[in-house]
Amino acid sequence: MEIVVAVKQVPEISEVKINRETGTLIREGVASILNPFCEYALDHAVRLKAANPEIRITALSMGPPQARAALLRALELGADRAILVCDRKFAGADTWATALTLSEAIHQFVPGYKLILVGKQAIDGDTAQVGPELAEMLSLPQISYGIEAELTAGLKRIRVKREIESGYQIMEARLPALVSFSKGEVIRRAPSFKEILGARAKQIKVADASELGLAEKEVGLSGSHTHVVKIFPPSQKVHGRMLTGLEAGEAGREICLFLKDRGIPTDSDMRYRT
Amino acid sequence: MHEITSSLPPACDFNEVRRVEGFDRIREQYPDFLSDESKLTMGPFDLLFFPANESELSAVVKEMVRRNIPITVAGARTGLVGGCVPPEGALVSLAQMSKVLAVYHAPYAREWRIRAEAAVRLADIDKMAESKRFPDLEKSQDPFVIEQLRLYGGEQQRYFYPPDPTEMSASIGGSVATNASGARTFRFGPTRDWVRGIRVMTMTGEVLDIPRGKYFSSPSGWFTVYDGKGSCYPVRIPDYQMPRTKNTAGFYASPHMDLVDLFIGSEGSFGIITSVDIALLAWQPKCSIILFTESDERALHLVETLRSDKRLKLDFLEFYSSSAMDLLRDMQAGDPRHVGMPAIPESAGAAVFFDVGFDPLEEKPDFRALEESTASAGVYLADSWAGYEPRELARFKAFRHLLPEKITQVLSERKKTYPGLHRLSSDLAVPDEHLFDMWRLYRTQLDQAGFEWVAFGHVGNNHLHVSTMPRNMEELERGLRLYAQFAQKAAAYGGAVSAEHGVGKIKSKFLAKMYSADEINQMHAVKTALDPDMLLNPGNIFAA
Repeated sequence: MEIVVAVKQVPEISEVKINRETGTLIREGVASILNPFCEYALDHAVRLKAANPEIRITALSMGPPQARAALLRALELGADRAILVCDRKFAGADTWATALTLSEAIHQFVPGYKLILVGKQAIDGDTAQVGPELAEMLSLPQISYGIEAELTAGLKRIRVKREIESGYQIMEARLPALVSFSKGEVIRRAPSFKEILGARAKQIKVADASELGLAEKEVGLSGSHTHVVKIFPPSQKVHGRMLTGLEAGEAGREICLFLKDRGIPTDSDMRYRT
Repeated sequence: MHEITSSLPPACDFNEVRRVEGFDRIREQYPDFLSDESKLTMGPFDLLFFPANESELSAVVKEMVRRNIPITVAGARTGLVGGCVPPEGALVSLAQMSKVLAVYHAPYAREWRIRAEAAVRLADIDKMAESKRFPDLEKSQDPFVIEQLRLYGGEQQRYFYPPDPTEMSASIGGSVATNASGARTFRFGPTRDWVRGIRVMTMTGEVLDIPRGKYFSSPSGWFTVYDGKGSCYPVRIPDYQMPRTKNTAGFYASPHMDLVDLFIGSEGSFGIITSVDIALLAWQPKCSIILFTESDERALHLVETLRSDKRLKLDFLEFYSSSAMDLLRDMQAGDPRHVGMPAIPESAGAAVFFDVGFDPLEEKPDFRALEESTASAGVYLADSWAGYEPRELARFKAFRHLLPEKITQVLSERKKTYPGLHRLSSDLAVPDEHLFDMWRLYRTQLDQAGFEWVAFGHVGNNHLHVSTMPRNMEELERGLRLYAQFAQKAAAYGGAVSAEHGVGKIKSKFLAKMYSADEINQMHAVKTALDPDMLLNPGNIFAA
């Protein structure tokens, strides 16, 4: 049984720094890592494999040559093989062009796949679109924001516990299917040094645009339907003011005065119980 | 040259120095200044000074000497032996002397160096060296400083400061005064090996500028210090042999020694370090490895094998005993996220940690030497955790430091029932050939006593921290006697009674286990030559 885990290399950033002139992320001096959510997806693939040893895991990435490092990490963590789809023509791809390229790579190189696992989003772009788009392009049922997964019905279905705003939901899909993963309770694996060395003995297949048979206008910047106009970090939330040691009514009045002071309309008929 | 002359910094008005007067006010406004990480507190003291530069420091020193008031010096107060805890008199905090003065290339040594005032923190030095951003220097008007900063910024290579005491909030001055060491001492040596010069204020209020490699003791073992007025202070270097181990107990002494080494690790006995020059080293990518072994003895055998294999270059070699692994398993059972690592394998009886040079993108990395060496000790690389990404290195480092935190937590819980309880922790190092002897002594005695104990730390330097968590006051009393025996035995093996924590006020009684009365008198003679009235850092090294 073939599982594809689509992964992305991202800058290891805790604080986004933007070049004000070009509007792009500053990546200088920032290490690159396997996107953490992709690592969680891979972790679930490895768990499924532990329960079903016949599973074979392929890690797939579209990216520049240095994205090989992210695939090495995937191999260390338990992927059996890795494919890097790499071509200058893919540069500047939006989520649509990325999903299209990945879907074609899956068709070409893992035609017998039964399951595609992805991270819910990459920590650099944060769009959370590539997974769902990939599922649509491949006409697969999809379950997003998974945190637990098991194969059921003789490996014909997947049951996923997923996060929703009000709690959790359990969903099942027939295979083939696509599942995206959130963090959940996963504690990141630590491969052994033998696995780290072993990953370097495995071959990473590198494929360019010509091998995928996609027209130039379908990939990269020219295949993109969207383009980034501006990137900026979200404004920082200002710390609130905490009222303590007041009776409920007093506190209510304080809040009302605070809002009034700032010109925020309050209902003049409001009554506070004291 | 064994003669050196101090010079007076520009004069300044003593009354201009920032200060707090009166013990009640000090206690109220600066409660942290009453103690350090040892939690030792002593008698009340009435003066707290914050000099901003050498001139102000000089004014304070001269005035205190004139009034015969003892001076205790505080850096970042991260010490573990009460070195900066004043028994009386005045406390001088160097907190305001916290500027980086230069980053510069030393062409003959072919190395980059940082010159920093005493209170600059190690964590900040690390950050600046790596990021190549030095906020203090960017504002400089000095063309040399600006030019050197530009050259350093243009370097592609990443640099770091090798000594890595666990406590990175320590100040550079404090770490030099105590010759601080850490895990990486195994490969790179202690702080001493990275100090290229110091400026130090003596009790005359004058400054000695001591670059490494300029002032050496005379063939008969003397230095002569002159002050600006021509007064002469002859200093005779003790003639004892330093232990062949990591050591912070007692003053450094060796034939034809460099004057800078007399001050490094002297715990502020002779003068106040105002600025230091330290060397940086080119950083190489690493992989951290935690190798699990079936037992403590197997782990120690592995240590002996790894360090005798000259093909290997390990940055550090650290140990977690089987009891330490059990304590960590307890933590994982409580909250696995707090530990942040996968479940410790059932089969793991003990663990050895180390770093190896590792380039993640190298096509065919060759680690045959490591594989052969570990296999010959009956340990296999498959039984390990390894990581090389910056976040993984940080995760592994955090895991290494988790155990002391857990021990503190266990004891805080017990202190609720027995407020006088504290942990017992060894800081003993022995020469290589006595690693197993020392281990057997710890294990037999502590097990026989029925104590709850763990061992961890710098096994590569035969320097284990053996921590006992007494369950009541009776165990504490018995434990104290046992630990005194351990110190005695380590000294008899030719080791050190304080390998990295220093002597300060808490361990001064241990000094007699390592040095004879005559040797301690020789140390005392050095102290009185430079501080005749014993006014500087009273109670440190020599019990009051």
